[in-house]
Amino acid sequence: WQVPTSVPEGSPFYVNFLERFADNVDLLTSGRVEIEPFGAGVLVPALQVYDGVRDGIIKAGHSTPSYLVNQDPINAIFAGFPGGMGPEAYITWIYEDGGKEALYDLRASEGFKSLIVGIGSSEIMAHSNVPIKTAADLKGLKYRTSGPWAEVMREYFGAVPTVVPPGEIYTLLQRKGVDLIEWGPPSANLPEGFHEAAKYIIVPGVHQPTFLWEVVLKQETWDAVDDDLKPLIEKAAEMTTMEGLIHFYSADVKAMETYRSGKNEIITLDPTFVTELSEAGVDWITKKAAAEKDAGKPAMDDLLTKYKAFEATWSAESKYLIRNQD
Amino acid sequence: MSVAAFMFPLLFVLVLTGIPIAFSLIVVSAGAGLLAFGPHVFGQLYGSFYSAATNFILSAIPMFVLMGAILERSGIAERLFRVMQIWLGRLPGGLAVATIAMGAVFAAAAGVVGAVEVMIGMMAIPAMQRYRYKNSLIAGTICAGGSLGTMIPPSVIAVMYAALAQISVGELLAGMMLPGLLMIVLFIAYLIIQGMIDPPEPVDFVDDIATMSLREKLWVTLTSMLPICALIFAVLGSLLAGIASPTEAAAVGAVGALLLCILYGRFSLTMLRESLKITVRISAMILLIVAAGTMFMGTFAANGGSRLIRDAVEAAGFGNAGMIVFFLLIVLLLGFVLDWTANVLICVPLFAPFIRQAGIDPIWFGTMAIIVIQTSYLTPPMASSIFYLKSIAPPDMTYGQMCRGVVPFILLQLATLAIVALFPALATWLPSQIVGF
Amino acid sequence: MTRLFSIVDGFSLVLSRIADGVAIVLVTAMIFEVAARYLFSAPTIWAFDISYMCTGTLFILGAAYALREDAHVRIDFLAEKLPPRLRRTIEGVVFFLLLTPIFAGLSWFALQRTLRAWTSNEVEMVSPWAPVMWPFYGLLALGLVALTLQVAVQGLRAFLGHTHSSFDLEV
Ligand code: NA
Ligand code: NA
Repeated sequence: WQVPTSVPEGSPFYVNFLERFADNVDLLTSGRVEIEPFGAGVLVPALQVYDGVRDGIIKAGHSTPSYLVNQDPINAIFAGFPGGMGPEAYITWIYEDGGKEALYDLRASEGFKSLIVGIGSSEIMAHSNVPIKTAADLKGLKYRTSGPWAEVMREYFGAVPTVVPPGEIYTLLQRKGVDLIEWGPPSANLPEGFHEAAKYIIVPGVHQPTFLWEVVLKQETWDAVDDDLKPLIEKAAEMTTMEGLIHFYSADVKAMETYRSGKNEIITLDPTFVTELSEAGVDWITKKAAAEKDAGKPAMDDLLTKYKAFEATWSAESKYLIRNQD
Repeated sequence: MSVAAFMFPLLFVLVLTGIPIAFSLIVVSAGAGLLAFGPHVFGQLYGSFYSAATNFILSAIPMFVLMGAILERSGIAERLFRVMQIWLGRLPGGLAVATIAMGAVFAAAAGVVGAVEVMIGMMAIPAMQRYRYKNSLIAGTICAGGSLGTMIPPSVIAVMYAALAQISVGELLAGMMLPGLLMIVLFIAYLIIQGMIDPPEPVDFVDDIATMSLREKLWVTLTSMLPICALIFAVLGSLLAGIASPTEAAAVGAVGALLLCILYGRFSLTMLRESLKITVRISAMILLIVAAGTMFMGTFAANGGSRLIRDAVEAAGFGNAGMIVFFLLIVLLLGFVLDWTANVLICVPLFAPFIRQAGIDPIWFGTMAIIVIQTSYLTPPMASSIFYLKSIAPPDMTYGQMCRGVVPFILLQLATLAIVALFPALATWLPSQIVGF
Repeated sequence: MTRLFSIVDGFSLVLSRIADGVAIVLVTAMIFEVAARYLFSAPTIWAFDISYMCTGTLFILGAAYALREDAHVRIDFLAEKLPPRLRRTIEGVVFFLLLTPIFAGLSWFALQRTLRAWTSNEVEMVSPWAPVMWPFYGLLALGLVALTLQVAVQGLRAFLGHTHSSFDLEV
């Protein structure tokens, strides 16, 4: 299978998710299924991987539900949304408590077979030219962001979300054309060099506590796969997600250490401010789900209710976990 | 034998029989695409076309072309070159030196090479021809001056390279700075020496400059230099101050040029219509090549093109020096037929892992790779720089003259490459000194 | 036949005039965005999408007329040495027999894509503005259809030996 993704070859998402998946499939199927990864824009346009599979141009594609949020907001729950669950809780919900089934059902209704290939750690909330400590600091700032967080920033905090194409983010940040930017988790931002462009690094990543990538195939393509291979490919996907997340944790803490030992100042937001930001995000998605329900599409609201129920249990009962945080 | 291996020869045949480059690329892509994607070939090709048609960075192209077209009609080109003639006339190769300097300045304003070349070409060709510079020298100077957009920041190529190779954009841009300046110095030194050895024929109408009073000279200089400096300041300034992205700075330039035109009393609706017409024609030509190149790259990769190269590298088992030479050679060869976007897209992801594993300084290698990409932009038979030049050149300037003209500059760029290869510090020293904020 | 040719030429010309207007929209939108962001700290949510859509539109709407004017770069230093008859035949075969079906296929897909965007009310993937996409897809399809026709006419003209001032194979 030639499998294109939505990010360039060599990016951490490509290496850590897609290449790892190709290797794992090769290992588990003893080479009977060959996955050939392709970077963004080579076989199909970067953001149209789902369309490419639907049109039959490619057998399978690797992308993220983030790109489908504008089309159908229910995808925001899977993409990871502002104020949502962090990676620990989220991966547990996905694999043990109904998340995976919900995603697979959603894709099945669109004619796709989905395989989760990659769950991410939390992102860096911002590389910033100005220190951010309270909600008032955000007012009027030009913030490169997109998706739900852009709406939350504008509507709840008076910040000015700005669209900047990927190649120009570094330049505009360095020249103070934008005040702050968000991009990815610490280890993915390190090679982009944003820490060299702006002094302050704002954590934690309330805006994107985790994220998810998937490989999608047309149902017919999946059905045509030998029955003895299917469970092996499923296992390879699951293995990739687990290994990928742990790899992110490891690379991320090393990246944070690099930032801290350099010229940057890392600002860890006050818990009350984090709560304020989270609640705005949750309020945003709750209203979105309610609007969908009013429009006769209750699926998002139902799913969000289940998601919140799991999150409530996790929040209440996970205090026994040792997290080793200063 | 892989289908991908046949794509380049077939492309060469079509191009050499006189089929336009863009359409040659599309024919080969469609053939290769049919083999790889069967009935879905049109969907796949459409996707590549769509990627090119929706690339925000390319938006700078029409606007820089528009800026050039308006500037051409504003009379600023004649004025500027008149000023150059006044002050540099005695200097050997004066106008050519001025063209390179303008190329460098506009390169610092724009990230897209083709647009810079078209703009300085539109300004410099009429003026240089009037002063009887040889067509080949004019062509070479404009192609070389236009190519500087690659090496002088801001450079879209460098940004894309760094993103693909997972290295710091800031470090790479800083690394390119000294080699870029070195290249400009070499160009100018060559043009002065060339001008001393083989000066253009004297022209009879220069005499009026000799009779001009100093007062008149200063007045002409002031009224010509001040507005164009203001324009460059608006473009560069808005860019450097972070007011505008490179694409937006292009819009600032187009509007600035329009204001200049009004200032000089050259503005009219006919003139605006003509400028727009040229803008659309040249942008359509450039972007169709980009779209076709994207199709070519996609079908090349789908037919195992990238794997072919990967296997070859692994099989050869090079040492570090051999590997660097081999990679740069491939970039150069692909540069004969691919536009830089496709070249960077194919090469960087293939080579980056090898470079990292071998422990070669990625900034140093990146700088050299970008010099080679800039060189391949000049290398005939298929040099993008010459295509752009042809789209604006007067009929009496032939393809042969253009090819001859770029040769000295190719050698100078290779000299720069050799110097950087011998003294890696040229590329690595500045990045180690730079403070990001 | 000649009448048909001039209808196609006329169609391409009209589209390229529209493209002229699109260029003005592009510049205006970018200037507006710079001013809004820098002077008023209020960047628009639409300038980014508008700019790439304008560029894509002006390029494809202008492509057919650029072909009519023979503005697409060719390398003719070797081709000039071929006998004109052979050159015309190559040109005709490539344009009429190869490129016309290719562009027809592309146009067909582009039209289907437009239709799908229209029926599913597709919106832009990542833009906070999230504009509906069918008008943009429609313009791309329109440009491709015009280019298909112009490509066919280019091939037929080569076969028939029709040349005119801006399309002269017998250099
Ligand atoms: Na992000
Ligand atoms: Na070349």
